[in-house]
Amino acid sequence: MNEKAIIVKNLSKTFRVKEKEKGFKGSIKSIFKTKYREIKAVNDLSFDVDKGEILAFIGPNGAGKSTTIKMLTGILFPDQGTVEVMGIDPKKKRKKLAYEIGTVFGQKEQLWTHLTPYDNFKFFGAIYDIDDYTVEKRIKELKDMFELDEFINTPVRNLSLGQRIRCEIVASLIHKPKILFLDEPTIGLDPVVKENIRTLIKRMNKEYHTTVFLTSHDVGDIEKLCKRIIIVNHGQIVLDDSMENLKYHYLNKKIVEAKMKEKVNLNDEDGITILKDKGYNLKIEVDTTKRSVGDAIKLLNPNNIIDINISNIPLEDIISDIYKRDK
Amino acid sequence: MLTVVKNIKNQLKVSFLTVKYALIREMINKTTFLTNITFMILNDASFILQWIVLYALKDNVGGYTFNQVLLLWGIAAGTYGFSHFFFESAFNLSDTINNGKLDAFLVQPKNVLISTITMSISASAIGDLAYAYIMLFVFGFTIKNFLLFTLFCFTGSLIIVSIAIILGSLSFWFNKSDVIADTGNSLLTNFATYPDGIFKGITKILFYTILPLGYVAYMPVQILSSFNIKLFILVISITIMFITLAVITFYRGLRRYSSSNLMIART
Repeated sequence: MNEKAIIVKNLSKTFRVKEKEKGFKGSIKSIFKTKYREIKAVNDLSFDVDKGEILAFIGPNGAGKSTTIKMLTGILFPDQGTVEVMGIDPKKKRKKLAYEIGTVFGQKEQLWTHLTPYDNFKFFGAIYDIDDYTVEKRIKELKDMFELDEFINTPVRNLSLGQRIRCEIVASLIHKPKILFLDEPTIGLDPVVKENIRTLIKRMNKEYHTTVFLTSHDVGDIEKLCKRIIIVNHGQIVLDDSMENLKYHYLNKKIVEAKMKEKVNLNDEDGITILKDKGYNLKIEVDTTKRSVGDAIKLLNPNNIIDINISNIPLEDIISDIYKRDK
Repeated sequence: MLTVVKNIKNQLKVSFLTVKYALIREMINKTTFLTNITFMILNDASFILQWIVLYALKDNVGGYTFNQVLLLWGIAAGTYGFSHFFFESAFNLSDTINNGKLDAFLVQPKNVLISTITMSISASAIGDLAYAYIMLFVFGFTIKNFLLFTLFCFTGSLIIVSIAIILGSLSFWFNKSDVIADTGNSLLTNFATYPDGIFKGITKILFYTILPLGYVAYMPVQILSSFNIKLFILVISITIMFITLAVITFYRGLRRYSSSNLMIART
């Protein structure tokens, strides 16, 4: 059996939100009588993560992703349930846990912007009680791995967003954490930089065997980094499966895009759904459990096809389909 | 025991680095940095002018000699200087809580409260500190006076920082409590530079209870004018009491922290 890095059982967290009737009258009324509404941000969540695993923890906005991450890292107190991260209860031993985890919140910077990355890393070394010799060694090691040579002595405020994120990740790795929590690490980055960050995360996972808990809205991050995916919505898990399984179950549907010589009259029928029909350009979805792709091509008449493209359903569509199904 | 000493040493190292880096940040713009300090000294000095005029007409105001008023100003400036130099962010605690900025400190293996209140400094506080020691020299410099003066500036700053923490921590419970915190903090500053003899009745009671200026400024002036061990112990004890209260309030509130996701919005 694999050793567990994270064990979560029946985790729940409710927030109380003030409710006010509309307009000025509502504001006056709320002074005397305040109404509250309870929002279950996380509702009876249970899952575990193996050591060394890269897990995608995803869901639409307000699904409870950040609340869960914050309870796992000791930022928020859960209302119910138990959490164990590297065998530590974040609620009781926050400081002890801090030595075992690293966090990167894409929307919240932890670096001092007027200092250079090097000074920042030294500062983080002091926070984690690392002596000067060890911290220097570690900075050198991470500098090489994350290719920071060019800008390690440039103040953070003068760095590009991609360079900053790289430095944020390095700062969170100074103390060799066993788990890295990445909350939307590639937000706002261009495709090339995104790809670069993904490669670095993968390399780090491989070399240090660091467990990675990733939340992201970027399908590329999930597809390229993670072997397992947990989808949450309304504070509950709607899917917990391997990427392979997810693709296998959803990839029995193929998208066929064809450019035709002459217009074809095609209607929805068993196993075939017309997605787009612009006369000469056609886009259909074929359910291969009911019809083969060959059948679909025959229906279009192969002699009438100028160009054809057969592809899988994009992961993005699969995920949004799962979100919608859960509504 | 050894671990506790090591932890304190490490915490002090981080706090020292934080203050050092915050100071570097303030010094980036040299002109603004120096102007802030100079203008604060001039600002403090300008108030003394009105006291010079007053004491030309009267020998005694509220039981204070002119020299004692200078000392009162010195202690007030020193208290303000220490608190805003080392703990500037204690006065913005509401904002830190409301905008979910505690997250960064909660994932670090250090004391959350200390990390939170030491994350920024105020350059003008250096002006206050300089002015405070000028006042001490005018009052009468001796090693004993210097040590007591520094100690009282520090205990005073710990008391007002504790109050700022208690008021700021209200944000864990109430929305918009930053207004209460701001009012409370400015009340303390406004009254600290007047001789307590001019206040009577309820106001005076307030100064020895919820607006504890008595222990921040008035008692230290009395002790420095003529040493009194009972008052000295009282000041130290009250300081420890306020620190304890602040720590309890902050950590009670922290359990309710909701870590909002910061968004820039019109509020």
